[in-house]
Amino acid sequence: MKAPVKPAIEESGDALTRRRMLSWFSGFGLFGSLIITAFSNLIFIKPRATYGQPNRFSIGKPEEFPSGARVSLDERRVCIVREGDKIAAISTTCTHLGCIVSVSETGFACPCHGSRYDQDGNVTGGPAPRALPWYQVRLAPNGEIEVDKDAEIEAGSYLRV
Amino acid sequence: MSSQTTSSSWKSLVALPENIWRSIFRNPLPSSDLGRASTSFTNFFLHLHPVKVHRHSLKATFTLGLGLISFFLFFILVVTGILLMFYYVPSTTQAYDRMLDLRGTVAFGIFLRNMHRWAAHGMVAAVFLHMCRVFLTGSYKPPREFNWVLGVFLLLVTLFMSFTGYLLPWDQLAFWAITVGTSIASYAPLVGKQVKFILLGDTTVGQEALLRFYVLHVAVLPAVLSLLVAIHFWRIRKDGGLSRPEEEDSLPAETPATVEVLQGPAVVMATSPAAAAAAAPLIPKRHYGIQGLVRGPFTKVGNVPDRSVFSWPNLFMAELVVFLITVAGVLIVSLFFNAPLEQPVNVMHPPNPAKAPWYFLGLQEQVSYSAFWGGVGIPTIEVLLLLLVPYIDRKIVGVGRWFARERLLANFLFLTFVIVNVLLIVIGTFFRGPNWEFVSPW
Repeated sequence: MKAPVKPAIEESGDALTRRRMLSWFSGFGLFGSLIITAFSNLIFIKPRATYGQPNRFSIGKPEEFPSGARVSLDERRVCIVREGDKIAAISTTCTHLGCIVSVSETGFACPCHGSRYDQDGNVTGGPAPRALPWYQVRLAPNGEIEVDKDAEIEAGSYLRV
Repeated sequence: MSSQTTSSSWKSLVALPENIWRSIFRNPLPSSDLGRASTSFTNFFLHLHPVKVHRHSLKATFTLGLGLISFFLFFILVVTGILLMFYYVPSTTQAYDRMLDLRGTVAFGIFLRNMHRWAAHGMVAAVFLHMCRVFLTGSYKPPREFNWVLGVFLLLVTLFMSFTGYLLPWDQLAFWAITVGTSIASYAPLVGKQVKFILLGDTTVGQEALLRFYVLHVAVLPAVLSLLVAIHFWRIRKDGGLSRPEEEDSLPAETPATVEVLQGPAVVMATSPAAAAAAAPLIPKRHYGIQGLVRGPFTKVGNVPDRSVFSWPNLFMAELVVFLITVAGVLIVSLFFNAPLEQPVNVMHPPNPAKAPWYFLGLQEQVSYSAFWGGVGIPTIEVLLLLLVPYIDRKIVGVGRWFARERLLANFLFLTFVIVNVLLIVIGTFFRGPNWEFVSPW
């Protein structure tokens, strides 16, 4: 059988034929759709709302925390610290592997792998790689203290009440 | 109605059982080489295998059956896993009670859970040992590079399967192992926190995490694993069967090749008149050729003297034996040892020390030295190196032999990697006590 004679324009190779251009477009379209699909799935499985503990919550009136108090709210995984008229919330989730640290004489201590922190959450020993984060605390209009675990603030910044 | 029709109907009726049987199984139990060949490729399950297999591939001392064991353990896991799904509820309020029900009221419940748990641990070990076998026999060399890559992914998926299953009993062990494990993941730069959040569906391990792990464990990962296994098996054949030393192919055949594949219209495959008679129904319309192995140097089926034997019964019997040993092993272990079940989850009271599943304890041990390097940096480098091994070390020497002299350096490096990781796991498992301090197990 005789091979069909190719048009000269295809033989030149570099020339942009209609067929080649269409192939590029369809390939681009298909591949693009694939990426968009994969990305949409990723967006889908990343929850917009969580059903567990809310990250912003009220912990009661400032009076409930007398000066010098270091109250660990285990369920909220946060420790409320009050010194004079200054109040702050320090995370009690160990920065090592996520266990709950307990309040100790010198600050915080993790029961899982022995990380130790000082009163301000700075690492003093053990495998913890970072200091415990501080969360934003503000006074809600109803006079209660609100902790926002989505907002990390600089260690040592207190709310004056 | 003529008597002829009646008698023919009667004959059909008499032949009914045999006809039904033969419509399902095309061949009688083979007694000739042609029969053995056609049995292999007319049966759906057997046609995954080559018609003939090299003697070297059947050596138990060469493969140790580790790939088969991994696959059969996966099979056991699928069966027991589906059965367990009938009673399990992925809910933080119910999951633990269901575990107690399995132990207390469900018939064979505790036994099925034991089988599932021990087969899972066994599979992690078997897949890892299979990787060691493949490396130490130089079987990842061209043309098998990509199958090695698939194998590395299979190891990772197996680990992830086991890890997602670990959470489902919702006891203290499960909760803290996953808390620790996902925290390790969050050490990854840039995406670490996001990965942890998507994995858990929340900032901490809770109901969302349980549901997500359940879906991954029973649907997503088994599907991925099955697909990868299918490609892995398919590639074994397309890459020319299991690896073997080149000199194996030049050895004189012990028995003359019994199958001849001729080019052209006539197909001669039988060796005796009796076999030819048995083969008669197969011959008229179609030409059955033995499907030779695909790649150049490995294609030895045909008129070349070879050392291959028919898969029926040699390979199939070997597979059956490995299957029975695997099942027996899982049954025996499940009879004598119960899968651990600790107290129900108490978020306020982490155990001291909180440990990840054993195969991640090497990782956790590394993390105790350096969070980023131990948990993310080094593991990533290790996986990348494993993936790249067949593209770096391409010289085809010492293939198909254990600890080949020519591969001293490669084997030495690989064994170092294995021993270091095993040591880390042993230290993390037995030598780490409260506060992750060094303790002696004695």
